[in-house]
Amino acid sequence: MYDSHILTEHDCRSMWEHGKKYGYCVNLTINYYRGLPLSCVEEIALEVDGEAVKPEDMVLRTRGKEFPYTEILKDDFPTDFYWIFGDYLRVIVLKDGGIEQGRHHVKLTLKTRRSYTPTMVGVCEKDLTFA
Amino acid sequence: MEKNYDIKLAVSLYSYQDNYYFKRYDLEGCIAAAAGSGAEGFEVFADNMMPEWPYVSDEFADRFFGLQERYGIKAVCLDHFSDRAMWKNRQLTDDEMFERGVMYLKLAKKLGIPIVKLLHQEHIARVPISGYNLTTYEIIERMLPIAADMGLMMALEVHTADGVGADYQQKYIELAEKTGLHNVGLMADFSTFSYCMTTADIVDHCSRGAQREILEFLRSKQREAYFAGEPFEYESIREAVEKMSPNEATQSAINFAVRHGRGKPSFAQLYKELKEYASRMVYVHGKFYDIDENGQVDDMDYPKIFECLKEGGYKGYVASEFEGNRRMNMVGWVDEIEYVRKHQALMRSLL
Repeated sequence: MYDSHILTEHDCRSMWEHGKKYGYCVNLTINYYRGLPLSCVEEIALEVDGEAVKPEDMVLRTRGKEFPYTEILKDDFPTDFYWIFGDYLRVIVLKDGGIEQGRHHVKLTLKTRRSYTPTMVGVCEKDLTFA
Repeated sequence: MEKNYDIKLAVSLYSYQDNYYFKRYDLEGCIAAAAGSGAEGFEVFADNMMPEWPYVSDEFADRFFGLQERYGIKAVCLDHFSDRAMWKNRQLTDDEMFERGVMYLKLAKKLGIPIVKLLHQEHIARVPISGYNLTTYEIIERMLPIAADMGLMMALEVHTADGVGADYQQKYIELAEKTGLHNVGLMADFSTFSYCMTTADIVDHCSRGAQREILEFLRSKQREAYFAGEPFEYESIREAVEKMSPNEATQSAINFAVRHGRGKPSFAQLYKELKEYASRMVYVHGKFYDIDENGQVDDMDYPKIFECLKEGGYKGYVASEFEGNRRMNMVGWVDEIEYVRKHQALMRSLL
């Protein structure tokens, strides 16, 4: 669901601190007709310019909260942090130097668990301009 | 003759999901759209249009009441979900599932919404297709006295091919009778009465590479059978379809449609049961996927369905539930507001 829209063109850019780039981000919207707890995310896999991003290098940010990606996959992760329907889930990839400004090819695979249908897999691939 | 039915119309805001997802309309805009369509009520999911869920503030509640006042429309139903598969390696226990169920009831109470559409174990079929349990009979039995204390109705949506008359749905009606707590009941979803592949599905399948000509041929044969009052047998057209050399996407669309029709009771029986159960139903989803050039839902016999509801003495809401958006939005913008407007006009003409 919404497969061609889950990888958005919203605010793709390097992430900065004290004038230095420590990573870059993309912003996702959910592949479902409602929001889900982050604990229901089965997998977020990113490939940037053909290279797979390591899960341990990803950090998620939404509604003012931030979680290492590998944390949300754990069985004791709380069930009340939601990825709100229509909201952006920012995926920050930690990488010294960030990403080179300009066009990059990004492939996203997003798997979410739902209550009454099998896990749905959304795949979205596009060229995005990073600031 | 005095009528023994009392049907009111509502809109499930789920119908406007693309407008919300793509930020054209917010909750207030969706409520305004529902009111503008002429509906008296609306249905809402906390999980998609109340970002504070599961901890909804008093401020939100106040605003929610205010919106109903401003737009002259009532919130009539809140949707519950059975998110059992919360984690990769562990599912919620029955106790945890019960607790989550009660969270939805509490929210409905707080927001003054009288009905909670509850996702029960037999929602889609006798056995859940997800492979894990949803909200089971035992959990509903535990929730029932709580719903009764709160003055809420738990409406179990029957989204199956065999409808409200199926043997495995009866235990819920019996539960209400046995306990004397009439705070649980069945609700029909019109998808049960789909007699052919909808044009919305054809758009969807074609966007994935299926052959339009073959799917339209299938659809026309399904319609012929329905209007002749006969069951549709795929075997009768298999050879003709094979001669048209269906590709993989086409074959998979056909297989899905044929699988869905397998074991389905006759339409005569489904309508008979709808009429029989109408007076005991507590809510209804007026499901639709597309509307044809005559203003009719393209794969369901709305005049017949409404005749059953009226003759059977249904008292309650029928909510527009548009689901063509997610079938057709891969190929462009789907004008949900216009679809719902037409759907409300159709249903109003049948009251």
